[in-house]
Amino acid sequence: MDLSYTLEQDAFRAEIRSWLAANKPANPLVTLECREGYDQHVAWERQLASGNWGMVTWPEAYGGRGLDLIQWLIFEEEYWGSGAPLRANQNGIFLLGPTIMEYGTEEQKARFLTPMAAGEVIWAQAWSEPGAGSDMAAIKTTAYRDGDHYVINGQKTWSSRASFADWGFGLFRTEEGSQRHKGLSFVLFDLDTPGITRRPIRQLHGHPGFAELFFDDVRVPVENRLAGEGEGWKVAMATAGFERGLMLRSPGRFQATARRLVELFRKHEADAAPSAREAVAKAWMDTQAYAYNTYAVAAKIMAGGSIGAEASLNKIFWSELDRAMNRTAMQLLGAAAELRRFDDGSMNDWLEGYIFSLSGPIYAGSNEIQRNITAERLLGMPRVGAG
Amino acid sequence: MDMLIAPERLELAEAVRDYLSGTHGPEVLRRLDAGPNRDPAIWQGLVEMGLTGLLVPEEHEGLGMGLLDAALIARECGRAALAEPLVDSAFVAVPWLLAQDQTDDLAAIAAGEQRVLPAHTINGWQADGDGEALDSVDPLRNLSALPADASDDPHLLDLGALMSAAQLVGLAEAMLDQAVEYSKIREQFGQPVGGFQALKHKLADVAVALEFARPVAWRAAQAMDDGAASAPVHVSHAKIAATDAAFLAAESAIQVHGAMGYTYEVDLHFWMKRAWALGGAWGSRAFHLKRVDDAVIGGALAIGPEHTFA
Ligand SMILES: Cc1cc2nc3c(=O)[nH]c(=O)nc-3n(C[C@H](O)[C@H](O)[C@H](O)COP(=O)(O)OP(=O)(O)OC[C@H]3O[C@@H](n4cnc5c(N)ncnc54)[C@H](O)[C@@H]3O)c2cc1C
Repeated sequence: MDLSYTLEQDAFRAEIRSWLAANKPANPLVTLECREGYDQHVAWERQLASGNWGMVTWPEAYGGRGLDLIQWLIFEEEYWGSGAPLRANQNGIFLLGPTIMEYGTEEQKARFLTPMAAGEVIWAQAWSEPGAGSDMAAIKTTAYRDGDHYVINGQKTWSSRASFADWGFGLFRTEEGSQRHKGLSFVLFDLDTPGITRRPIRQLHGHPGFAELFFDDVRVPVENRLAGEGEGWKVAMATAGFERGLMLRSPGRFQATARRLVELFRKHEADAAPSAREAVAKAWMDTQAYAYNTYAVAAKIMAGGSIGAEASLNKIFWSELDRAMNRTAMQLLGAAAELRRFDDGSMNDWLEGYIFSLSGPIYAGSNEIQRNITAERLLGMPRVGAG
Repeated sequence: MDMLIAPERLELAEAVRDYLSGTHGPEVLRRLDAGPNRDPAIWQGLVEMGLTGLLVPEEHEGLGMGLLDAALIARECGRAALAEPLVDSAFVAVPWLLAQDQTDDLAAIAAGEQRVLPAHTINGWQADGDGEALDSVDPLRNLSALPADASDDPHLLDLGALMSAAQLVGLAEAMLDQAVEYSKIREQFGQPVGGFQALKHKLADVAVALEFARPVAWRAAQAMDDGAASAPVHVSHAKIAATDAAFLAAESAIQVHGAMGYTYEVDLHFWMKRAWALGGAWGSRAFHLKRVDDAVIGGALAIGPEHTFA
């Protein structure tokens, strides 16, 4: 264990810090969940890429910088610390990208990773279906083979940013008559392929942040399949590991929220409940604990290890701490909590943050499912009746 | 920057775990509870492993290891609910003596011939001291009245709090293990009770609390070893996180055991009572929360994503 950064790591931190200071949008962008805000966020992705900051851990050949996970964490710390925008590209760079790196052919890597890092192609995840939420193995949408194409029929739902995004990565039933986890394949598709209908869904805050996707004889080339036919479940579980375990929610984002919460508390200190004071101290403690753990996971992966079911512990922790922090802020704001904009015209980011934090315990595998996984796979408790 | 504990550093702690699980199981706790609660043979075994000299520098016949190594072993002492005052003497008092350049007794401490039992005003008692006896709920603790010359040195308090946190991690881990094991064998409604989701989720929450207490404890130990100015805040964080995890583990474990858990016969109570004891020792929750609060809300510590290791 060594709690100091190397000179090289410090220099890297200084480099990203000064780039962000010079390039970060001067004013907050409109929310990513609507058309206008989405376009602003994509423009920002392209600007990041122009500085080669799209995804620093990827090889230079794919538009990255070939850096290690500690440097990635430093990047993320500076990124969120500077107040830079949310990443429109997150499903691509944090979920699909690492999966392609692990399962893709060389041809697929060249074809998909470079435009991904460049922010030219924005990806949506298309796994959930009306009948397959927590029980993802109940997927019904089919992609049956017809020569060198798959023909997709069925429906996906809750696909984040699919109202506006370019491509999707989906899990489809490619083997006729197959059941549950078997016979599924992981297929990438252009969201503008004929036969796909997107129907935006309004989220709690009113914006069309996710969408339903209807597939009607949609033809997708077989070379868009990642890994072998029928291996979709295994590939999806690797993606889910990245989602829950390391990449999707780097600690910097929550540490930035904790710092804003401390600042908010200082303003409201005189009339704050004693419980709020403890909640604020806990916000710092929990976000720090999450950061230490993430650094340890990163070091473990760098030493050749991998993330297993303990990713579930992470997911429970970050999603519930985010909700707790935003709830505390809402309580501190009192009567101003419901205002979308404060008197001074600034956005009430806490309200947006609280609403968004309510989805954390639901998406990426609900926290009930994560607790099941923890109990059964990490603790070894019996898998009999749910009771 | 490296938050991973090197595998070779874990080896000694694993050896201690194996040794204690082989020689210091629940039957030993029961025996100590029934008779004299200290046993020279157990102490001698710890001495022979070199543990009394773990933090004693090599020139004084010790192993010259660091506080992180000690914390990892303190966790094993917690896991075994060890009653002998190894942690207090070798991991709390020794580094405190070293910090004050009091080296005269170190060789005798390393050899196991002498013990130094720390007395700090924050506790209001001394463990394994010679004063008038006090009655603890933990049958294996030997508490006595605080001596008049007790210290109020914050550095001693930090060492005591850090090592309590490490023991609490081990105590919580042991209680979680006991609860999981019991849930597999106790059957009701025709199935092991561990198959019921209400119990799964309860114990999953303990696993989460532990996962995010452990790195805090190790980071605090390293910060103390490095002599970081911010170390006391990290020690307080560790004490709070480990205490909360241990109380949650205790309450969840007794619930999983049903009435069995409420008996003196089931061994869980030894761990639970030690957790209650150490949870309040070396600074209450309020004391440690205030230190975090002063640093974080008071502004003494740089916070935010760029300051993870401040
Ligand atoms: C903001 C947001 C963004 C999303 N983005 C995407 C996306 O981009 N792509 C995508 O594919 N999906 C996405 N999802 C969908 C998400 O993955 C699902 O919502 C999630 O898997 C839960 O499925 P469900 O909503 O059908 O809930 P259900 O499965 O119907 O669950 C309802 C309740 O029952 C509980 N439950 C279900 N099964 C069990 C069990 N075995 N034990 C205990 N409790 C159980 C759940 O925990 C939950 O509390 C998104 C969801 C949200 C909220």
